[in-house]
Amino acid sequence: MTTILETKNVTKQYSGVAAVSDVSFAVKKGEVVGFVGLNGAGKSTTINMLLGFQRPSQGEVYLFGEKVTLPNAHKSHRRIGFATGDMSLFDDMTGEQYLAFVARSHGQKLRTETFTQLVDRFEPQLNKKLKTLSRGNKQKIALVAAFMMNPDLVILDEPSSGLDPLMQQHFLELVREATERGVTIFMSSHYLNEVVDVCSRILLIKKGKLVKDMPASELETTAGKLVRVTTKTKVMPPKTAELVERETRGEVQLLQFVFRGTAIRLQEWIGSLPQLQDLTVSDDSALAAFEDLYEEEAR
Amino acid sequence: MFTLLFKTIRDKRFFILGWSLGLAFLGFAMTAFYPSFNGGQIDELLTSLPPALEGLVGNLQDWRSLPGYVGSQIFDIRLPIFISILSILLAVSITVGEEDKGQLRTLVSLPLSRRRIVTGKWLAMVLLCLIASIAPLVGVEVGLLAIGETIDQMVLIRLGLFTWLLVTSLATVIFAIGLATGNRALTTGLGIILTIGSFLVSTFSQAVDWLKDYEWLSLFHYFPATDIAKGTIEWWNAVFYVVLLLLALVAVYLFFPRRDIKAE
Repeated sequence: MTTILETKNVTKQYSGVAAVSDVSFAVKKGEVVGFVGLNGAGKSTTINMLLGFQRPSQGEVYLFGEKVTLPNAHKSHRRIGFATGDMSLFDDMTGEQYLAFVARSHGQKLRTETFTQLVDRFEPQLNKKLKTLSRGNKQKIALVAAFMMNPDLVILDEPSSGLDPLMQQHFLELVREATERGVTIFMSSHYLNEVVDVCSRILLIKKGKLVKDMPASELETTAGKLVRVTTKTKVMPPKTAELVERETRGEVQLLQFVFRGTAIRLQEWIGSLPQLQDLTVSDDSALAAFEDLYEEEAR
Repeated sequence: MFTLLFKTIRDKRFFILGWSLGLAFLGFAMTAFYPSFNGGQIDELLTSLPPALEGLVGNLQDWRSLPGYVGSQIFDIRLPIFISILSILLAVSITVGEEDKGQLRTLVSLPLSRRRIVTGKWLAMVLLCLIASIAPLVGVEVGLLAIGETIDQMVLIRLGLFTWLLVTSLATVIFAIGLATGNRALTTGLGIILTIGSFLVSTFSQAVDWLKDYEWLSLFHYFPATDIAKGTIEWWNAVFYVVLLLLALVAVYLFFPRRDIKAE
């Protein structure tokens, strides 16, 4: 499959201090890659180098097979959509004027089918000046701008911060639909559940170093499910479960544990339960799994 | 390129409107004051004023004719300092000002080459400087109507042209420093040093002997407004501004495409 984005031993130093150190990865066409790490881990610096805002101190970046240099970076931008969670838009313009400016810079007109669909989805406030909009409403404009030119690659830096939960769901739907059309997406996010939800692969960066490159399903499995069952008879949790609580309340047994395994195995175990009274299954925080991984890599 | 040119002009429309009104008022008011100065008191002033103060008030002999007065009092003494402040504010705001706000990063994320960004912004700045240079001429014309006098239109056009060359070349130098370095303190500081330095050298070289040797360092030295008002024009002065402007443009085209954009 075609490589869309690639970094080779990329390092970025500021005043002799490495913000990103020897980072190498490649993203294939159609992949949705989550780029996760704590604040200051080097996510935004890496993205700045991918887009040609900043030059790597060492190493090389390739977009669509072409080496990115600062003077020629704009050539690939025609095929890239970009948004950040706190993107500085042109405050004196209305949302519509800004989007028209973006379209003109791509040599196109604003009123396209994709634009209309995005507006229907996010319902951005197009006629108000950007400086009067809330962060969330500005963010909707930035996301419309990132996707409206039908890009082959979308690079997103904390894209849904500032969005309300409903809009966050719209955003995730948009990412899934774009992926179905073969769009490649590279996104950093603080919301790990969001990353696990839409990404096929996760890159974990810590103190400027890439410490993990894994399928997103691995983090999902690691994260596990918090299972709470109430039965009339005493039951044993699955072998791989981590017991949280076991209690007898009158005639019923209460069992709570974290299950790390596939959904099918959990389903089989639930199916085998005699006299099941109540059942709840919720996500154990992906954050906890992320923290575990982070700590593990630090050791 | 035109997309960015129109955007920059649009962004700065109120800025340039305000400054143009102010500069037009300066031209109008100073012209309208002329009849008050053109009385018998001028001879008394001529004999009593120490020559060392000529740098501050201009050569009073120039006050005897309307073109000399307009050239000296508006275009030689007052306008260069005001229009230089305008050029600093304008050039700083469309370069490091936008970069500090993160808007330059947004711009660079679009499929616009860095050279196109430079060209679009610079052309917009040149047009804005042109508007600012025309404004005092309009004021002078209205002032002339008010006092019922006339001046050779070519004189005013030449004064306007040199005002434009001065403000554009100074703005281009500051613009080049801003885009080439991305450093607000350096850009503003050098802009102010250039302006105040030029003002001080031009003003006090009349009185301070050793400063005369450094007069060529002043940007205002190449805009001899009183000579232009009298009909004498040295086109080498215009060449100086054009060369300065071109050097600054070469620097910005060389350095801006190769430097990091400030991270937010």
